[in-house]
Amino acid sequence: MAIIEVNNFSKKFGNKIVHKNIEFQVNKGECLGLLGGSGAGKSVILRSLIGLEKPDTGSIKIEGEEIVYKTEKELIEIRKKVAYVFQNGALFDSMNVFDNLAYPLKEHTKLNQQQISDEISKILIEFGLDGNEHIFPSELSGGMQKRVGLARSIIINPHIVLFDEPTAGLDPFNTIKIQETILKLKEKGMTSIFVTHDMPSAFAVCDRLALVQEGKVTCIDTVQNVKKDENNIINQFIKGYYV
Amino acid sequence: MSKFKNFLEALGGAFHLILETIKIGFQRPIYTKLILDQIYHIGVRSLPLVLIVAASSGMVMALQFGYGLAKFGGKLYVPKIVSLSIVREMGPVFACLMLAARVSAGITSEIGSMKVTQQIDAIRALGTSPLKKIVFPRLTACMIAIPMLSAGAIIVGVAGGLMVGSLELGLDTQFYLQKIFTTIKLNDYLSGFGKTFFFAFFIASTSCYYGLTVTGGTQGVGHATTKSVVTSSILIVAGDYFLTKFFLVIEQWL
Ligand SMILES: Nc1ncnc2c1ncn2[C@@H]1O[C@H](COP(=O)(O)OP(=O)(O)O)[C@@H](O)[C@H]1O
Ligand SMILES: [Mg+2]
Repeated sequence: MAIIEVNNFSKKFGNKIVHKNIEFQVNKGECLGLLGGSGAGKSVILRSLIGLEKPDTGSIKIEGEEIVYKTEKELIEIRKKVAYVFQNGALFDSMNVFDNLAYPLKEHTKLNQQQISDEISKILIEFGLDGNEHIFPSELSGGMQKRVGLARSIIINPHIVLFDEPTAGLDPFNTIKIQETILKLKEKGMTSIFVTHDMPSAFAVCDRLALVQEGKVTCIDTVQNVKKDENNIINQFIKGYYV
Repeated sequence: MSKFKNFLEALGGAFHLILETIKIGFQRPIYTKLILDQIYHIGVRSLPLVLIVAASSGMVMALQFGYGLAKFGGKLYVPKIVSLSIVREMGPVFACLMLAARVSAGITSEIGSMKVTQQIDAIRALGTSPLKKIVFPRLTACMIAIPMLSAGAIIVGVAGGLMVGSLELGLDTQFYLQKIFTTIKLNDYLSGFGKTFFFAFFIASTSCYYGLTVTGGTQGVGHATTKSVVTSSILIVAGDYFLTKFFLVIEQWL
Protein backbone atom coordinates (compact mmCIF):
# COMPACT_ATOMS: atom_id res chain seq x y z
CA MET A 1 0.00 0.00 0.00
CA ALA A 2 1.28 3.46 -0.88
CA ILE A 3 1.94 5.44 2.27
CA ILE A 4 3.30 8.48 0.43
CA GLU A 5 1.70 9.50 -2.87
CA VAL A 6 2.83 12.52 -4.87
CA ASN A 7 0.95 13.45 -8.03
CA ASN A 8 1.25 16.23 -10.59
CA PHE A 9 3.50 18.21 -8.21
CA SER A 10 4.84 21.48 -9.58
CA LYS A 11 6.74 24.28 -7.91
CA LYS A 12 8.48 27.45 -8.95
CA PHE A 13 10.32 30.15 -7.01
CA GLY A 14 9.78 33.50 -8.71
CA ASN A 15 10.50 32.82 -12.38
CA LYS A 16 12.55 29.76 -11.69
CA ILE A 17 10.66 26.56 -12.40
CA VAL A 18 12.04 23.86 -10.14
CA HIS A 19 9.43 21.12 -10.58
CA LYS A 20 7.08 20.57 -13.52
CA ASN A 21 5.39 17.31 -12.79
CA ILE A 22 6.70 15.10 -10.02
CA GLU A 23 4.94 11.79 -9.45
CA PHE A 24 5.98 8.89 -7.26
CA GLN A 25 4.77 6.62 -4.50
CA VAL A 26 6.44 5.03 -1.52
CA ASN A 27 5.05 1.82 -0.05
CA LYS A 28 4.79 0.95 3.60
CA GLY A 29 8.09 -0.22 5.07
CA GLU A 30 9.98 0.74 1.96
CA CYS A 31 13.02 2.98 1.61
CA LEU A 32 13.04 5.05 -1.57
CA GLY A 33 16.35 6.60 -2.63
CA LEU A 34 15.90 10.00 -4.25
CA LEU A 35 18.74 10.90 -6.60
CA GLY A 36 19.42 13.96 -8.73
CA GLY A 37 22.03 16.61 -9.39
CA SER A 38 22.60 19.45 -6.96
CA GLY A 39 19.80 21.96 -7.31
CA ALA A 40 17.49 19.39 -8.91
CA GLY A 41 14.98 20.12 -6.19
CA LYS A 42 15.28 17.06 -3.95
CA SER A 43 15.13 19.09 -0.75
CA VAL A 44 12.12 21.00 -2.09
CA ILE A 45 10.30 17.68 -2.53
CA LEU A 46 11.15 16.51 0.98
CA ARG A 47 10.19 19.85 2.52
CA SER A 48 6.85 19.75 0.73
CA LEU A 49 6.07 16.34 2.20
CA ILE A 50 5.76 17.89 5.66
CA GLY A 51 4.30 21.17 4.49
CA LEU A 52 7.42 23.31 4.95
CA GLU A 53 6.91 24.28 1.31
CA LYS A 54 3.59 24.52 -0.54
CA PRO A 55 3.44 23.12 -4.10
CA ASP A 56 1.94 25.34 -6.80
CA THR A 57 -0.17 22.48 -8.11
CA GLY A 58 -0.61 18.83 -7.34
CA SER A 59 -1.45 16.49 -4.55
CA ILE A 60 0.56 15.00 -1.70
CA LYS A 61 -1.03 12.23 0.31
CA ILE A 62 0.48 10.91 3.53
CA GLU A 63 -1.17 7.68 4.72
CA GLY A 64 -4.05 8.50 2.39
CA GLU A 65 -4.52 12.02 3.75
CA GLU A 66 -4.18 15.06 1.47
CA ILE A 67 -1.80 17.55 3.11
CA VAL A 68 -1.43 20.32 0.51
CA TYR A 69 -4.28 22.44 1.84
CA LYS A 70 -3.61 21.89 5.51
CA THR A 71 -2.93 24.90 7.72
CA GLU A 72 0.21 25.19 9.83
CA LYS A 73 -1.82 24.03 12.83
CA GLU A 74 -3.32 21.01 11.07
CA LEU A 75 0.14 20.05 9.85
CA ILE A 76 1.30 19.42 13.43
CA GLU A 77 -0.34 15.99 13.39
CA ILE A 78 1.38 15.16 10.08
CA ARG A 79 4.73 16.34 11.43
CA LYS A 80 4.43 13.99 14.41
CA LYS A 81 4.10 11.10 11.96
CA VAL A 82 6.67 12.28 9.41
CA ALA A 83 10.12 13.18 10.66
CA TYR A 84 12.61 15.28 8.72
CA VAL A 85 16.33 14.74 9.19
CA PHE A 86 18.05 17.97 8.15
CA GLN A 87 21.25 17.97 6.19
CA ASN A 88 23.35 19.45 8.98
CA GLY A 89 21.28 18.34 11.92
CA ALA A 90 19.68 21.77 12.44
CA LEU A 91 20.21 21.37 16.18
CA PHE A 92 19.08 24.23 18.40
CA ASP A 93 22.40 25.80 19.31
CA SER A 94 21.00 27.49 22.40
CA MET A 95 20.30 24.06 23.90
CA ASN A 96 22.57 21.21 24.89
CA VAL A 97 22.21 17.72 23.45
CA PHE A 98 19.87 16.61 26.22
CA ASP A 99 17.49 19.53 25.74
CA ASN A 100 17.55 19.11 21.97
CA LEU A 101 16.45 15.50 22.38
CA ALA A 102 13.93 16.38 25.09
CA TYR A 103 12.28 18.98 22.86
CA PRO A 104 9.98 16.66 20.86
CA LEU A 105 9.29 14.53 23.93
CA LYS A 106 8.15 17.52 25.97
CA GLU A 107 6.01 18.80 23.12
CA HIS A 108 4.33 15.65 21.97
CA THR A 109 4.33 13.09 24.78
CA LYS A 110 3.05 13.01 28.32
CA LEU A 111 6.27 11.52 29.73
CA ASN A 112 7.51 12.87 33.07
CA GLN A 113 11.03 14.16 33.73
CA GLN A 114 12.35 10.74 34.73
CA GLN A 115 10.85 8.98 31.71
CA ILE A 116 12.19 11.65 29.38
CA SER A 117 15.65 11.29 30.78
CA ASP A 118 15.42 7.48 30.48
CA GLU A 119 14.34 7.76 26.84
CA ILE A 120 17.22 10.08 26.11
CA SER A 121 19.80 7.85 27.80
CA LYS A 122 18.51 4.93 25.79
CA ILE A 123 18.71 6.67 22.43
CA LEU A 124 22.13 8.20 23.20
CA ILE A 125 23.54 4.76 23.94
CA GLU A 126 21.92 3.36 20.82
CA PHE A 127 23.57 6.09 18.73
CA GLY A 128 26.94 5.80 20.49
CA LEU A 129 26.56 9.31 21.89
CA ASP A 130 26.28 8.62 25.62
CA GLY A 131 28.16 11.03 27.83
CA ASN A 132 27.41 13.99 25.55
CA GLU A 133 24.18 15.07 27.25
CA HIS A 134 25.49 18.41 28.44
CA ILE A 135 27.53 19.32 25.38
CA PHE A 136 26.32 22.15 23.15
CA PRO A 137 25.97 21.53 19.40
CA SER A 138 28.79 23.92 18.49
CA GLU A 139 31.22 21.68 20.38
CA LEU A 140 30.19 18.51 18.52
CA SER A 141 31.80 17.25 15.33
CA GLY A 142 29.74 17.42 12.13
CA GLY A 143 29.10 13.69 12.21
CA MET A 144 27.91 13.81 15.80
CA GLN A 145 25.63 16.77 15.04
CA LYS A 146 24.02 14.78 12.26
CA ARG A 147 23.54 11.79 14.53
CA VAL A 148 21.97 13.90 17.28
CA GLY A 149 19.73 15.48 14.63
CA LEU A 150 18.70 12.02 13.47
CA ALA A 151 18.06 10.93 17.06
CA ARG A 152 15.93 14.02 17.72
CA SER A 153 13.86 13.31 14.61
CA ILE A 154 13.04 9.72 15.45
CA ILE A 155 12.74 9.90 19.24
CA ILE A 156 8.93 10.09 19.12
CA ASN A 157 8.68 7.08 16.78
CA PRO A 158 7.47 8.59 13.51
CA HIS A 159 5.99 6.32 10.83
CA ILE A 160 7.92 7.99 8.04
CA VAL A 161 11.40 9.50 8.04
CA LEU A 162 12.75 11.85 5.37
CA PHE A 163 16.54 11.89 5.22
CA ASP A 164 18.17 14.86 3.49
CA GLU A 165 21.72 13.75 2.61
CA PRO A 166 22.35 12.21 6.02
CA THR A 167 25.75 10.86 5.02
CA ALA A 168 27.06 13.85 3.06
CA GLY A 169 30.47 14.91 4.27
CA LEU A 170 30.79 12.13 6.83
CA ASP A 171 33.77 9.88 7.45
CA PRO A 172 33.33 6.13 6.82
CA PHE A 173 32.70 5.39 10.50
CA ASN A 174 29.81 7.87 10.78
CA THR A 175 28.46 6.84 7.38
CA ILE A 176 28.23 3.20 8.46
CA LYS A 177 26.62 4.26 11.75
CA ILE A 178 23.90 6.15 9.87
CA GLN A 179 23.35 3.23 7.49
CA GLU A 180 22.98 0.85 10.41
CA THR A 181 20.48 3.16 12.08
CA ILE A 182 18.36 3.40 8.96
CA LEU A 183 18.41 -0.37 8.49
CA LYS A 184 17.41 -0.89 12.12
CA LEU A 185 14.49 1.52 11.72
CA LYS A 186 13.47 -0.28 8.56
CA GLU A 187 13.31 -3.57 10.43
CA LYS A 188 10.82 -1.92 12.76
CA GLY A 189 8.62 -1.18 9.74
CA MET A 190 9.50 2.45 9.17
CA THR A 191 8.98 3.98 5.73
CA SER A 192 11.59 6.40 4.46
CA ILE A 193 12.89 8.56 1.67
CA PHE A 194 16.64 8.89 1.42
CA VAL A 195 18.02 11.83 -0.56
CA THR A 196 21.67 11.22 -1.30
CA HIS A 197 24.66 11.41 -3.60
CA ASP A 198 26.34 8.62 -1.68
CA MET A 199 25.67 5.56 -3.84
CA PRO A 200 27.15 2.86 -1.57
CA SER A 201 24.78 4.02 1.18
CA ALA A 202 21.85 4.19 -1.23
CA PHE A 203 22.56 0.63 -2.35
CA ALA A 204 22.91 -0.51 1.24
CA VAL A 205 19.63 0.85 2.56
CA CYS A 206 17.22 1.55 -0.34
CA ASP A 207 14.69 -0.80 -1.94
CA ARG A 208 14.00 1.40 -4.94
CA LEU A 209 15.68 4.43 -6.48
CA ALA A 210 14.12 7.43 -8.19
CA LEU A 211 15.89 10.03 -10.31
CA VAL A 212 14.79 13.67 -10.40
CA GLN A 213 15.78 15.57 -13.53
CA GLU A 214 14.44 18.84 -14.91
CA GLY A 215 11.43 18.87 -12.67
CA LYS A 216 10.33 15.31 -13.28
CA VAL A 217 10.98 11.83 -11.97
CA THR A 218 12.60 10.37 -15.08
CA CYS A 219 13.11 6.88 -13.74
CA ILE A 220 12.05 4.86 -10.73
CA ASP A 221 13.12 1.25 -10.29
CA THR A 222 14.34 -1.35 -7.82
CA VAL A 223 17.97 -1.36 -6.75
CA GLN A 224 18.51 -4.79 -8.36
CA ASN A 225 17.19 -3.62 -11.72
CA VAL A 226 19.27 -0.47 -11.63
CA LYS A 227 22.44 -2.41 -10.91
CA LYS A 228 21.67 -5.09 -13.51
CA ASP A 229 20.56 -2.99 -16.46
CA GLU A 230 23.38 -1.07 -18.15
CA ASN A 231 20.85 1.00 -20.13
CA ASN A 232 18.84 2.06 -17.11
CA ILE A 233 18.79 5.85 -16.80
CA ILE A 234 19.74 5.74 -13.13
CA ASN A 235 22.55 3.32 -13.86
CA GLN A 236 23.92 5.79 -16.39
CA PHE A 237 23.37 8.75 -14.08
CA ILE A 238 25.40 7.02 -11.38
CA LYS A 239 28.21 6.21 -13.77
CA GLY A 240 28.29 9.86 -14.77
CA TYR A 241 29.01 10.64 -11.17
CA TYR A 242 31.87 8.24 -10.93
CA VAL A 243 33.55 9.30 -14.17
CA MET B 1 11.42 53.94 -5.38
CA SER B 2 11.76 50.18 -5.10
CA LYS B 3 13.52 50.75 -1.80
CA PHE B 4 10.49 52.58 -0.51
CA LYS B 5 8.27 49.79 -1.78
CA ASN B 6 10.42 47.22 0.07
CA PHE B 7 10.15 49.33 3.19
CA LEU B 8 6.35 49.42 3.00
CA GLU B 9 6.29 45.72 2.25
CA ALA B 10 8.39 45.06 5.34
CA LEU B 11 6.04 47.14 7.48
CA GLY B 12 3.06 45.21 6.16
CA GLY B 13 4.85 41.92 6.68
CA ALA B 14 5.90 42.80 10.20
CA PHE B 15 2.40 43.88 11.12
CA HIS B 16 0.92 40.71 9.69
CA LEU B 17 3.48 38.60 11.54
CA ILE B 18 2.52 40.16 14.84
CA LEU B 19 -1.21 39.68 14.19
CA GLU B 20 -0.63 35.99 13.50
CA THR B 21 1.56 35.72 16.58
CA ILE B 22 -1.02 37.32 18.83
CA LYS B 23 -3.69 35.03 17.40
CA ILE B 24 -1.89 31.88 18.46
CA GLY B 25 0.34 33.24 21.20
CA PHE B 26 -2.23 33.01 23.93
CA GLN B 27 -3.29 29.48 23.06
CA ARG B 28 -1.82 26.81 25.25
CA PRO B 29 0.89 25.81 25.83
CA ILE B 30 2.35 29.17 26.85
CA TYR B 31 6.09 28.95 27.25
CA THR B 32 6.55 31.09 30.35
CA LYS B 33 10.19 30.19 30.73
CA LEU B 34 11.00 31.42 27.23
CA ILE B 35 9.30 34.74 28.02
CA LEU B 36 11.24 35.14 31.27
CA ASP B 37 14.50 34.33 29.47
CA GLN B 38 13.78 37.05 26.96
CA ILE B 39 12.86 39.57 29.63
CA TYR B 40 16.26 38.89 31.13
CA HIS B 41 18.09 39.26 27.81
CA ILE B 42 16.14 42.25 26.52
CA GLY B 43 15.39 43.95 29.81
CA VAL B 44 17.89 43.28 32.51
CA ARG B 45 20.91 43.22 30.23
CA SER B 46 19.98 46.50 28.56
CA LEU B 47 19.70 48.25 31.89
CA PRO B 48 23.26 49.66 32.11
CA LEU B 49 23.16 51.06 28.56
CA VAL B 50 19.77 52.70 28.98
CA LEU B 51 20.55 54.18 32.38
CA ILE B 52 23.93 55.58 31.36
CA VAL B 53 22.42 57.25 28.29
CA ALA B 54 19.52 58.61 30.35
CA ALA B 55 21.72 60.00 33.11
CA SER B 56 24.13 61.71 30.75
CA SER B 57 21.40 63.18 28.55
CA GLY B 58 19.68 64.62 31.63
CA MET B 59 22.96 66.04 32.87
CA VAL B 60 23.94 67.57 29.53
CA MET B 61 20.52 69.16 29.09
CA ALA B 62 20.65 70.75 32.51
CA LEU B 63 24.12 72.06 31.75
CA GLN B 64 23.18 73.50 28.34
CA PHE B 65 19.98 75.11 29.50
CA GLY B 66 21.64 76.29 32.67
CA TYR B 67 24.36 78.27 30.88
CA GLY B 68 22.10 79.22 27.97
CA LEU B 69 19.32 80.61 30.12
CA ALA B 70 21.64 82.23 32.63
CA LYS B 71 22.36 84.93 30.02
CA PHE B 72 18.72 85.95 30.18
CA GLY B 73 18.43 85.44 33.89
CA GLY B 74 16.30 82.38 33.29
CA LYS B 75 18.28 79.81 35.25
CA LEU B 76 15.34 79.26 37.54
CA TYR B 77 13.44 77.75 34.63
CA VAL B 78 15.97 74.93 34.28
CA PRO B 79 14.13 72.44 36.54
CA LYS B 80 10.89 72.99 34.67
CA ILE B 81 12.28 72.79 31.14
CA VAL B 82 14.70 69.96 31.70
CA SER B 83 12.39 67.66 33.62
CA LEU B 84 9.43 68.31 31.37
CA SER B 85 11.33 67.59 28.17
CA ILE B 86 12.87 64.46 29.69
CA VAL B 87 9.52 63.11 30.83
CA ARG B 88 7.67 63.91 27.63
CA GLU B 89 10.31 63.33 24.96
CA MET B 90 13.98 62.82 25.67
CA GLY B 91 13.69 60.04 28.23
CA PRO B 92 11.45 57.67 26.27
CA VAL B 93 12.82 58.51 22.81
CA PHE B 94 16.51 58.25 23.71
CA ALA B 95 15.93 55.05 25.66
CA CYS B 96 13.96 53.46 22.84
CA LEU B 97 16.46 54.54 20.19
CA MET B 98 19.23 52.89 22.17
CA LEU B 99 17.04 49.83 22.57
CA ALA B 100 16.20 49.87 18.85
CA ALA B 101 19.92 49.44 18.25
CA ARG B 102 20.69 46.93 20.95
CA VAL B 103 17.53 44.84 21.00
CA SER B 104 16.69 44.90 17.28
CA ALA B 105 20.22 43.90 16.34
CA GLY B 106 20.18 41.13 18.92
CA ILE B 107 16.82 39.71 17.92
CA THR B 108 17.29 39.94 14.15
CA SER B 109 20.75 38.42 14.14
CA GLU B 110 19.71 35.60 16.46
CA ILE B 111 16.56 34.70 14.55
CA GLY B 112 18.35 35.22 11.24
CA SER B 113 21.12 32.81 12.20
CA MET B 114 18.52 30.28 13.25
CA LYS B 115 16.84 30.75 9.88
CA VAL B 116 19.97 30.18 7.80
CA THR B 117 21.02 27.14 9.84
CA GLN B 118 17.53 25.66 9.38
CA GLN B 119 16.69 25.84 13.08
CA ILE B 120 13.47 27.70 12.27
CA ASP B 121 12.55 24.94 9.81
CA ALA B 122 13.41 22.41 12.51
CA ILE B 123 10.99 24.07 14.94
CA ARG B 124 8.25 23.65 12.35
CA ALA B 125 9.33 20.17 11.32
CA LEU B 126 9.18 19.05 14.95
CA GLY B 127 5.52 20.02 15.05
CA THR B 128 5.91 23.33 16.87
CA SER B 129 5.45 26.93 15.86
CA PRO B 130 8.23 29.52 15.48
CA LEU B 131 5.62 32.19 16.17
CA LYS B 132 4.95 30.67 19.57
CA LYS B 133 8.49 29.58 20.34
CA ILE B 134 10.42 32.54 18.98
CA VAL B 135 8.27 35.57 18.15
CA PHE B 136 5.75 35.55 20.98
CA PRO B 137 8.31 35.42 23.82
CA ARG B 138 10.29 38.26 22.24
CA LEU B 139 7.21 40.36 21.57
CA THR B 140 5.91 39.88 25.10
CA ALA B 141 9.29 40.57 26.64
CA CYS B 142 9.66 43.77 24.59
CA MET B 143 6.19 44.96 25.54
CA ILE B 144 7.02 44.44 29.21
CA ALA B 145 10.70 45.33 29.43
CA ILE B 146 10.96 48.32 27.11
CA PRO B 147 8.34 50.49 28.87
CA MET B 148 9.90 49.57 32.20
CA LEU B 149 13.38 50.48 30.99
CA SER B 150 12.00 53.73 29.60
CA ALA B 151 10.37 54.54 32.92
CA GLY B 152 13.74 53.93 34.55
CA ALA B 153 15.38 56.17 31.96
CA ILE B 154 12.90 58.97 32.72
CA ILE B 155 13.60 58.80 36.44
CA VAL B 156 17.36 58.61 36.03
CA GLY B 157 17.32 61.38 33.41
CA VAL B 158 15.40 63.73 35.68
CA ALA B 159 17.72 62.81 38.54
CA GLY B 160 20.73 63.57 36.32
CA GLY B 161 19.31 67.01 35.65
CA LEU B 162 18.72 67.53 39.33
CA MET B 163 22.28 66.58 40.13
CA VAL B 164 23.80 69.02 37.67
CA GLY B 165 21.25 71.65 38.65
CA SER B 166 22.21 71.59 42.28
CA LEU B 167 25.94 70.76 42.08
CA GLU B 168 26.95 72.67 38.97
CA LEU B 169 24.35 75.40 38.51
CA GLY B 170 23.97 76.10 42.18
CA LEU B 171 20.20 75.69 42.24
CA ASP B 172 18.64 74.72 45.55
CA THR B 173 17.83 71.01 45.68
CA GLN B 174 14.56 71.56 47.53
CA PHE B 175 13.51 74.15 44.99
CA TYR B 176 14.46 71.88 42.10
CA LEU B 177 12.52 68.93 43.52
CA GLN B 178 9.50 71.06 44.22
CA LYS B 179 9.55 72.39 40.66
CA ILE B 180 9.70 68.85 39.28
CA PHE B 181 6.63 67.77 41.20
CA THR B 182 4.58 70.89 40.51
CA THR B 183 5.45 71.12 36.81
CA ILE B 184 4.99 67.58 35.66
CA LYS B 185 1.39 66.44 35.56
CA LEU B 186 -0.04 63.00 35.17
CA ASN B 187 -0.75 63.61 31.48
CA ASP B 188 2.94 64.35 30.87
CA TYR B 189 3.90 60.98 32.29
CA LEU B 190 1.11 59.38 30.32
CA SER B 191 2.28 60.86 27.05
CA GLY B 192 5.93 60.03 27.64
CA PHE B 193 5.37 56.57 29.05
CA GLY B 194 2.46 55.72 26.73
CA LYS B 195 4.62 56.13 23.64
CA THR B 196 7.04 53.49 24.79
CA PHE B 197 4.48 50.72 24.27
CA PHE B 198 4.29 51.73 20.62
CA PHE B 199 8.07 51.94 20.37
CA ALA B 200 8.35 48.49 21.92
CA PHE B 201 5.92 47.20 19.34
CA PHE B 202 7.95 48.77 16.49
CA ILE B 203 11.16 47.21 17.80
CA ALA B 204 9.72 43.73 18.35
CA SER B 205 7.78 43.51 15.11
CA THR B 206 10.47 44.76 12.75
CA SER B 207 13.28 42.81 14.36
CA CYS B 208 11.38 39.50 14.34
CA TYR B 209 10.17 40.09 10.81
CA TYR B 210 13.63 40.84 9.40
CA GLY B 211 15.05 37.85 11.25
CA LEU B 212 12.49 35.39 9.94
CA THR B 213 12.78 36.64 6.36
CA VAL B 214 16.56 36.40 6.08
CA THR B 215 17.80 34.85 2.86
CA GLY B 216 21.30 34.37 1.54
CA GLY B 217 23.30 32.86 4.36
CA THR B 218 25.41 34.71 6.91
CA GLN B 219 25.77 37.75 4.66
CA GLY B 220 22.00 37.95 4.60
CA VAL B 221 21.95 37.97 8.40
CA GLY B 222 24.20 41.04 8.41
CA HIS B 223 22.01 42.86 5.88
CA ALA B 224 18.83 42.02 7.73
CA THR B 225 20.30 43.18 11.05
CA THR B 226 21.27 46.55 9.58
CA LYS B 227 17.84 46.99 8.01
CA SER B 228 16.14 46.03 11.20
CA VAL B 229 18.01 48.63 13.28
CA VAL B 230 17.47 51.35 10.67
CA THR B 231 13.78 50.56 10.23
CA SER B 232 12.94 50.43 13.91
CA SER B 233 14.87 53.66 14.57
CA ILE B 234 13.04 55.43 11.72
CA LEU B 235 9.72 54.16 13.01
CA ILE B 236 10.50 55.50 16.45
CA VAL B 237 11.63 58.93 15.30
CA ALA B 238 8.87 59.36 12.70
CA GLY B 239 6.27 57.68 14.87
CA ASP B 240 7.17 59.98 17.75
CA TYR B 241 5.73 63.00 15.93
CA PHE B 242 2.39 61.34 15.33
CA LEU B 243 2.28 59.77 18.76
CA THR B 244 2.95 63.15 20.35
CA LYS B 245 0.02 64.59 18.41
CA PHE B 246 -2.09 61.61 19.31
CA PHE B 247 -1.39 62.01 23.01
CA LEU B 248 -1.98 65.77 22.84
CA VAL B 249 -5.47 65.05 21.55
CA ILE B 250 -6.07 62.50 24.27
CA GLU B 251 -4.78 64.89 26.93
CA GLN B 252 -7.36 67.42 25.85
CA TRP B 253 -10.12 64.94 26.54
CA LEU B 254 -8.82 64.21 30.01
N1 LIG C 1 13.07 29.24 -0.66
C1 LIG C 1 13.59 29.27 -1.90
N2 LIG C 1 13.58 30.42 -2.60
C2 LIG C 1 14.08 30.47 -3.85
N3 LIG C 1 14.62 29.43 -4.49
C3 LIG C 1 14.67 28.26 -3.85
C4 LIG C 1 14.15 28.12 -2.51
N4 LIG C 1 14.32 26.83 -2.13
C5 LIG C 1 14.92 26.21 -3.16
N5 LIG C 1 15.13 27.06 -4.20
C6 LIG C 1 15.72 26.73 -5.49
O1 LIG C 1 15.21 25.49 -5.91
C7 LIG C 1 16.20 24.71 -6.50
C8 LIG C 1 16.22 23.34 -5.87
O2 LIG C 1 16.73 23.43 -4.56
P1 LIG C 1 16.96 22.15 -3.64
O3 LIG C 1 15.69 21.41 -3.49
O4 LIG C 1 17.60 22.64 -2.41
O5 LIG C 1 17.97 21.30 -4.49
P2 LIG C 1 18.68 19.93 -4.09
O6 LIG C 1 18.21 18.94 -5.08
O7 LIG C 1 20.14 20.17 -4.22
O8 LIG C 1 18.27 19.59 -2.71
C9 LIG C 1 17.51 25.44 -6.36
O9 LIG C 1 17.84 26.00 -7.60
C10 LIG C 1 17.22 26.53 -5.36
O10 LIG C 1 17.91 27.68 -5.72
MG1 LIG D 1 19.29 19.60 -0.88
